[in-house]
Formats: sequence, C-alpha cells, structure tokens
Amino acid sequence: MVDYFWSTIWPWIIWTPILKTIQSLAFIVPLLILIAYIIYADRKIWAAVQLRRGPNVVGPWGLLQSFADMAKFLFKEPIIPSGSNKVLFLLAPLIAAFVTIAVWAVIPIGSGWPAAEGTSWVVANINVGILYVLAISSLEVYAIIIGGWASNSKYPFLSALRSAGQMISYEVSIGFVIVTVLLLVGSLNMTDIVLAQQTGLANWLGVPSLTILNWFWLPLFPMFIVFFISALAETNRPPFDLPEAESELVAGFMVEYSSSLYMLFMLGEYLAVTFMCAMITILFLGGWLPPADIAIFNWIPGIFWFMAKLWMVFFMFAMVKAFVPRYRYDQLMRLGWKVFLPLSLFMVVAVASVLHFFDLAP
Amino acid sequence: MARVAQGIKSLFLLEFIAAFWLSMRYFFKPKAPVNYPFEKGPLSPRFRGEHVLRRYPNGEERCIACKLCEAVCPAQAIVIEAGPRRNDGTRRTTRYDIDMTKCIYCGLCQEACPVEAIVEGPNFEYATETHEELLYDKQRLLDNGDRWEREIAKNIELDAPYR
Amino acid sequence: MPKLIIDGAEIDVEDGLTLLQACEQAGREIPRFCYHERLSIAGNCRMCLVEVKGMPKLAASCALGVSDLRPGPEGQPPEILTTSPLVQKARSGTMEFLLINHPLDCPICDQGGECDLQDQADAFGVGSSRYDENKRAVENRNISPLIKTIMTRCISCTRCVRFMTEIAGVEELGQIGRGEDAEITTYLNKGMLSELSGNVVDICPVGALTHRPFAFTARPWEMKKTESIDVMDAQGAHIRIDTRGGNVLRILPRESDDINEEWITDKTRFVCDGLKNQRLDTPYIKENGKLRPATWAQAFEAIAKRMNNVDGKRFAAIAGDLAAVEEVFALKALSDQLGSPNTDCRTQNCSLSLDGGRAGYLFNTTIAGLDKADVILLIGTDPRREAAVMNARIRRGVSSGQTRVGLVGAPVDLSYDHDYLGAGPQTLVDILEGKHAFSEVLKEASNPLLIVGEGAISRSDGRAVLALAGRLANDFAMVREEDGWNGFNILHTAAGRVGAMDVGFLPGEGGLDTNGILEASEAGNVEIVYLLGADEIEVERLSKSFVIYQGSHGDKGAAIADVIWPGAAYSEKTATYVNFEGRPQMTMRAVFPPGEAREDWTIIRALSQTLGKTLPYDNAMELRQKIYELAPQLAAIGAVKNQEMASLRALSHEAIRIQPTPFSLAIDDFYQTNPVTRASVIMTEMSTLKQEMNAGKAAAHSKGMVTHG
Repeated sequence: MVDYFWSTIWPWIIWTPILKTIQSLAFIVPLLILIAYIIYADRKIWAAVQLRRGPNVVGPWGLLQSFADMAKFLFKEPIIPSGSNKVLFLLAPLIAAFVTIAVWAVIPIGSGWPAAEGTSWVVANINVGILYVLAISSLEVYAIIIGGWASNSKYPFLSALRSAGQMISYEVSIGFVIVTVLLLVGSLNMTDIVLAQQTGLANWLGVPSLTILNWFWLPLFPMFIVFFISALAETNRPPFDLPEAESELVAGFMVEYSSSLYMLFMLGEYLAVTFMCAMITILFLGGWLPPADIAIFNWIPGIFWFMAKLWMVFFMFAMVKAFVPRYRYDQLMRLGWKVFLPLSLFMVVAVASVLHFFDLAP
Repeated sequence: MARVAQGIKSLFLLEFIAAFWLSMRYFFKPKAPVNYPFEKGPLSPRFRGEHVLRRYPNGEERCIACKLCEAVCPAQAIVIEAGPRRNDGTRRTTRYDIDMTKCIYCGLCQEACPVEAIVEGPNFEYATETHEELLYDKQRLLDNGDRWEREIAKNIELDAPYR
Repeated sequence: MPKLIIDGAEIDVEDGLTLLQACEQAGREIPRFCYHERLSIAGNCRMCLVEVKGMPKLAASCALGVSDLRPGPEGQPPEILTTSPLVQKARSGTMEFLLINHPLDCPICDQGGECDLQDQADAFGVGSSRYDENKRAVENRNISPLIKTIMTRCISCTRCVRFMTEIAGVEELGQIGRGEDAEITTYLNKGMLSELSGNVVDICPVGALTHRPFAFTARPWEMKKTESIDVMDAQGAHIRIDTRGGNVLRILPRESDDINEEWITDKTRFVCDGLKNQRLDTPYIKENGKLRPATWAQAFEAIAKRMNNVDGKRFAAIAGDLAAVEEVFALKALSDQLGSPNTDCRTQNCSLSLDGGRAGYLFNTTIAGLDKADVILLIGTDPRREAAVMNARIRRGVSSGQTRVGLVGAPVDLSYDHDYLGAGPQTLVDILEGKHAFSEVLKEASNPLLIVGEGAISRSDGRAVLALAGRLANDFAMVREEDGWNGFNILHTAAGRVGAMDVGFLPGEGGLDTNGILEASEAGNVEIVYLLGADEIEVERLSKSFVIYQGSHGDKGAAIADVIWPGAAYSEKTATYVNFEGRPQMTMRAVFPPGEAREDWTIIRALSQTLGKTLPYDNAMELRQKIYELAPQLAAIGAVKNQEMASLRALSHEAIRIQPTPFSLAIDDFYQTNPVTRASVIMTEMSTLKQEMNAGKAAAHSKGMVTHG
C-alpha cells in the first residue's frame, strides 16, 4: 500500500498539476494570441465592408494593433468611481475573463496523435463536456450584472438588466439546440460529438467521400441557424449588442470601466465570441474533420481544419456585425421566446421521433 | 400568403444572404480613405492650416503691426505689441503671439491683413506633445514663413484671380 | 430767432449761429474736417457742404451764418437739405479729392481707429479712386519731441495752425506754400514748445500729427478708458486715462466747459511714462544707513518700535502736493490721535490760512467766471506755467478785446498783451493808493478781478501781500455781495493743497508749520516726521529726524527716509482732489498700484491699527462719510458753490509791512513740478530742451532736429 502510494499516487499528486499547468499555458497563450487577431480581424472586416482601412499603422498592415492596445490599457490608470462597490467592481471583469477562459478547457481542437479512437487535443477530455460548458458559460451573465450594479450608475445598471434578460432567454434555445445534437450523438463528451460526425448523411446519400455532408449542419439545418443567431445574442454581438448599445447606453455595463479592467471585459467578450465559434465548429461543422475524404485533406493536421472552420464562422460573426442593424429589445425577446424556443422545442421532438421510429438512435 | 412568403424568407435567410452578398461586394471594393501618413490628399490653395508670418523677398518682415488681425480675431488668439523699430523707426511688432489652441482657423486674420503677412499656410501637421509648444511667438511664425514661403506664394498666386 | 427748415423739419435757432451748428441742433450730423467749435472758422475742407434751396451752389455750412440766409419768395423760412443726392455726391467728391493725396497707410497710422478721415471716408466716400497719377509726398518736420509728424497725411485743414495761434497764443505753426506745395511747418524750423502743444494731436483730424511717445504702442480699441482727473496742476482738468494690461499708455482730455474746455497741458498729457519709472513698489526700511526692501509687517513693526513712547508733540506730518483728501484726512486724524499739532500741507510756506474763510484760499471767480472779467490783475503769478489751460481762457478774453490784464511780479511771457505794472508788493501799494495808472483802469472796470500767485505769498511778508490783495479787492469792488461777483482769487499750484486745507491739515494750536518743522528737526525738537508724498521741501534739513515717507515715487523724500511706504499714484486710486476753485472731483482707478503699493489712506489706517490708535473707518465709503461730516462742501463732487464773501474782510486787517523784494514765481520749470514729472523721461527731456532754448542754444538744436527728422 505504501509502495503503491510512493510509486503511483505520489507522482500523480506531484506531476498532474505541473502537467496540467503546462498544458493549460500551452493552450491559453496561443488562445490569447488568437484573440488578439480575432479582434484585429473583427475591426478589419468591419472596416472593409464600410470601405475603410481599419488598423494599419502598428506593425505591418496594423498586425500589432491589438498588442499596442493591450499595452495602452495596461499603462492607463484604472479609475474606480467613488460611489461604486469597489470589491464587486473589481471582481466583475475578473469573472468575465476567468469564466470565458475556463470554458475552453473542454474544447477539443484536433484529433489525437496517433489518431486513435476517442482521443483528441483537449485540456480536459471529460464525459460531461457539454454540461460543463453550459454550467460555466451561464456564469458569464454574473460578470455583466455585477459590473453593471457595482458601477452605481444608471446606464450600466440598465444595461445589466437588459443583459440578464437577453442571456437567459437565449440560453434556453441554445440548450434545446444542443439537445438535438446530443440526441444524434448520444454522448456529452465533446470529442465524441466531433467523432460522431465522421459518418452520416454522406454515406446515406452515397457520396461517402464528401464528408462535409456528414456534419450535423445539414441534418439539423434549422438548428444550425438558430444556434448561430443565439450565439450572437448570447455573446452580445451585434445585432444583439443591446447591453452595450452605444447609441442608448453609451457603453452599457462598461461605462465606468477603464484601463486594464476594461481590457478584461473586452477580452472576456472576444473569448466568448471565439468560444461560440468553436462550439459551432464542433457541434455542426465537424470539428477538426476534413471536409472531404481526399488524401491531401487527410494529411493536413486536424487543427488546421478546426481553425479554418472557426475563422469562417467568425468571419460570419464579423459580417453580421457589419450589415445587420441592431434589434430593438422587444424584437430580441420576440425572436428568442416566440420563434426560437418553439422551433427548437419542435425540433427536439422531431429529431427524437425520427430517431425513435426509424431506430437510428445511437 | 405573404406570411408564408415571409416565413420562407426568414427560414432560408434570403434577406440575410442578399445583405451578405452586398457587403461582400463592398468588402473587396477599393478603400476610400487615403493611407494617411504615407499618402496625402490634395489641398486647396485656400486651405487654412498653420499660421506663418511672411517676409518680403528681400528678407524684410511684412508685418507692420497694424493689429487688424488681432482686432478681427473672433477667438482672440492673437496678441500683438508694437513699437518703432530700432534702426529706422518704422512700425513693427515687438511681440506677435498666436495661441494655436485658441485659434479656430477661420482665416479672418489673413483676410484682414493688408500686407499678406499673416497667412494660414498649407501645413496641418504640427501636432505637439505639450500645450506650450502650440503657443507660437513671432520667431516661430517667421520661421514657419521661411519654411513654407514657396508653397504659400504659389497658393496666393493660384487664388489671386478669385480675390 | 431765425426759422429754418432743415430736411423738412422746422426749427428755430439762435441768431449768430452758423448753419452747421443749426443743423446739429436739428439733429443732423454734418461731416467736417476744418471746422472746430473752439477755433475760428476756416471753411477750407469743403466737407460740410449742404444744399440751401434757392442758392445756385452748395454752401459750406460751417462758414455760413443763419442770419445770412434769405427767406423764400413768399417769406417762407429758408430750406436746407443735408442728405439730398446732390449733397451726398458733393461729399463723396470732396472725399475723393481729399484722398487723392492722402496716403492709404491706415494700417501703420496711429490715428487708425479714431481718425475722422477714416470714419468719414467710410461713411461718405466712394470705394475707389479714379486718380492714378503720382501722389504728393511731403517731408516730415521734427517739430517737437512730443509730436510726431507725417505730413504726407495732412489734408490742410489748418486746425493745428489755428489752435496754436488762437488758443495757445504762440505763432509757432503756420501753413506755407500754395496748392500742391502747401504744407504745415514751424517758422524757420523752430520747435513747437508751447505748454499746450499736445492738443494739436487731438484736433488733427488725420494722422499727420500724432503722439510721439505713444507711437505705435496701441490701437484705440484695445485700451481701457477710465475717466479721471488730472493732478499735474491745481486746475483739475478732466482727463481720460487709456490703459492696457496695467500700463497707462496715454492721457487724453475730456470735455469740460467749466474747467479745461477740451484742452490739457503737455505735462498732463505726456507725463504717463513717469507713472512707470522710479516707482516705489515695496516697503523699505533703512538699516545701517542703507534702504532695504521689507514686508509691510516689518515696516509697520519698525515704525511701531520707533514711535513707542514718543511724545505727540515731537511728531510732525507734512502733506505733499499730490496728496488726496482721503489720505490727508486720515493722516490728520492720526496726528490728532497722537496728540500732535504739527501738521502742514503748505509745502511752499505760503501764508494762506483759514482766517479768510474758505474764500480766503480759493479761486473764487471760478475758471468759467473768467469769461466775464474785464480787468485782471495778476499778482506774482505766471498762469501760463501754473495753470496753462486757464491761461488760454484769459487769452481768449484778451484777444477778443474784452479783457485787460495787468501783471505785477516777474516779467513773463503770458502769450497775450498785458500791462506790466511792476515787480513787487510796492506796486500793489501804489495801485491801492491810487498812485498807479492802473488804478483808474480797475476803478472803471465792471468785473475786475485779481489773481494772487503762490509766488507772491510764499515770502516772509506773505500775509501782508495777502492783506494788500484783500484791500485791493475791497477797494476796487472786486468782491460784491449784491451781484455775487467775487474777484479775489488765489492761484494754487498743487492739486492736493486746497483739499488738504479743506480738511484742516494746517498747524493746530501751537503747532509748527512746514518751515517750523524743518527748523525743529534741525534743532532736534521733532523726532518723527511723516512725509505724505512731500518732496517739494528741503528734505535735507530733516536728517536728524526719523522720517517716514509715503508716496508713489522714489524722489527726494524717499532718498532721506528711514521707512518708505509705497503709495498709489493718481491713476491708481479713486481719490478726491479739490481744484483751486474749490471744486471737489474724484479720480478713478485706471490701473492697480504696482507691486506691494496700496491706496494711501489704507496705509495710514493700517498704521493707526499698529500703533493701537485705530481710525474709525474700514472702507473708503466710511472714510468719505467722516470727511463729509467735517467738510460738507466736499460731498458735492464736481460742483463748486459760491463762497461766503464777508469772511474775506478778515484778511485785510493784517498790518501792511512789506518788503521791497520783487515777487518770485512759484514754478520755475513748468515740466518739473512733482515726483511724477521728475520720473518721466519725456518731461525731463522737455525741461532740458526748454532750458537749452532759453540759453540761446535753440537755433543750433532745432537745426539738429531737422536733420535727424
């Protein structure tokens, strides 16, 4: 027993945290660099649609703009309003950043090496991945509510209220959309969800090499759209950026924030956006799977396909920001409760029925 | 029927796709802004930029301290003190200050000037790091004049037929 | 009362007016250049043309009397049009002619912004000129250190020539040449050294004659204008002080028919640089024979220490020539508190007292009253130096033939014809006794008056001279209760003296006068002497006493002082001065005193507090209330009221014990009479120049002036 402790448990106690820390860092640092370029891309795409140039001064083509912005935020003085609840005021952006980073723990970004069955590149390959995502990402609303309330100011408070309503509304339909996916997969493990998309409609249609048709976007097409739109709403992206609503609430819950605190909010926002892109990639676009069963495509590492799909989804996010006008709050609520909820409920029943009666359930 | 059509439109995101297509066309269009520090747009000869005090070709300063610019300045950005020049007793400024941070660049000073001494030149790139650097004195303005004389002379010549 | 129809409106005007004046009474503004209300009519600018119905041509309204106009055929009143198209065309034509030779150098012209030609060209001229020949150019003349000439700008209105000839009474300017060659010049290239010469700058309608020291310094629109009172002489001329950013840039006259009409002396006008030079701007204390700058607290402490346990009788105060009523009153109150009767304001030791009542030391006829005088007897005075603007008024009476002037005293050039009667008091005795030819003149006069200068009474027999004057006034009916004519006049030279006498700043019971204080100081009987701007005394004689000097300038008094307090000059305080007529007037603060300097009465008030004898007023209003309780006549600012005449008799009771020495003059040097003028570079230059001219170097100097002009 003692030997067992020293030979097995003790190394585990010592090495696991170190290993996981290295693993997390190896994941988080590239992730943050990715975020820097996501922000850059967001600005560039938006600018391009508006016939502007976007950031183009810092570094070649403005590539270092985000890092310059970060430096600026870090060196500015954080202004804490005298009327604010200081502890909560400081806590809110920390929650925002922490939660949105933590949720990435279960996202698989590539196939395992060697490409063994059921393995992938993921920090925590847990069986309740989806549950973890839902649990952690619903904490995000706290950051906004706390930030808005702790500022002790009118606009942030109104914004926080709006935001709470908005995020709760769309979490419902997001949940049902995920349920439809889970029905098809039969597992809460994110890696399993991706791997489940290796076969499907393409085989059934007789074009097995066109693996793109295997992914869930096609069988669950309406849900794919619903999820995309709900993701916009969930992350407060335009056209659902009502919590920020520059024209009405100046900057919403972030009015009173400045310097590094503001940066944490922004970081959290873009992490959430990128996370939603990753979720869409995993749930509907086959994760790291190549779009066609061709030798060249198969040789390319899965992470490339994952990133390509993520960027494509983000491009849509950015384009939507560029060309869709902002929703009114009642329209937002109507869409969430009167369109998406019935639709996704119906789809849950429909998908379950099809699986049951045709005996397709996994 | 219309509701059905609207439903189909909504379901298949037809309007969304049209808008997406439109924005993609714009996405690849040439960009309107000039790439500022590296390329610059054209300037009118009447452009009202940084002030200069000009000299005559023989090097004598034009300003005769009539104080009309000071009087006409709506922002009261100009301060002039005058006195007889030491060597010949002619009327000259002993002090000519412009607070560039008060100035509203209306151009009334150059309109008022009877000798085209104070002119708003074509230079607009004179941002500074401190407020004090934008409080121009006579020497600074004369130096500006020496630096920009060629452009200003050309602009005045170009604009002359319309005055 | 001729009746006129001016632009359709009927108006009755006085006989003898000119058409221009009549139009003004009808509310029509007539442009003019050569016409000036106080000068003779020249009629040479042609700007004032108006249309008179029935006349073949337009008439120059300034030169046409209303009584010369003829009524219409049915006896209807003459009709005048001032704005008809014909008149407007004539005006713009005149303007065009005037501008043919006038340079377009308004931007460098000092008159720009207050130029008649500029304004009228704007109002009546045409925008362009059809003249493209060469313009005329005229060489500038260096006519004076005070007046800059740019003769090309001259439009030959001859206002300056008429002013110098008629008002100043010196034929120093004239116009020579004809047509294009006409130019204004001094005769034989001499300088213009009249004490009223600066006024030509004001009356010049263009920028041909401008203020030389002020040249190019400021535009009229950027200066703050403060209406104030002059203190350079005792006349109290109304002035306007133009300031910019805490500097007095120039001083101009204000119109005041009763005092200075619209003239001021050069001393008044050009002294403003003296308000900046040699100023006391911080308190000083003498330590080890050297003055060092100190704080107010230190200066007060030094005084308090020195004054501790000093008997009031060993304290003396002398008020200077420029001290205003406020500070004099406060100092008198302080002296009373200290128990000192040794106060005097008569720095020249003149024999004036309160014996003859207020009338005994005032110019009772008033300046405006001079217009009614027919015989004037000047006793030991040169009004040209002592009150030059008033002298111009006397001159007007003389040149109109109404007034005859007799002079007893030093033979001086009064700028008008007068009878020189004698040099000393003996002549007065002769006149009084009827032995002198002038007695007849005085007897026949209906409104005779005499003017006693300070030179005549600042002598040991001053009281006797004053008594003589009193008897003369009595015997020749100069003081008449029945019609209120009071011809007994004292001509003061110091702006502050009448005010000081009004509040009783004279030796009290057993007190010492100025001379007595000086003697007592030499004898060591006076320990502390307070000089309130008193520089016109022999300050060296105070060397044994502890001297407190309070004033605006570092002048003679400050040089020997043990403690110096910086006071305010007249442009820096709101203070009351009483002119020699007894007219209280207020100066207005135009700028703040420099540095640590304060308004004078506040210094005395603060000192009284340090000495534990606090004066009972905290602000100027309370102080003036106290002054008005003592001297109610000072409450009527700007007004002069007739004085009790009966009290004058008291003067005559003095025994006549005279000395044969001739009268000397109260002022030797017109340009150097007080600390401000002595600090002024311009006044000092003028003084030197005048002395050189008098010494016969004039010719050489004026040649030099022309070459570098």
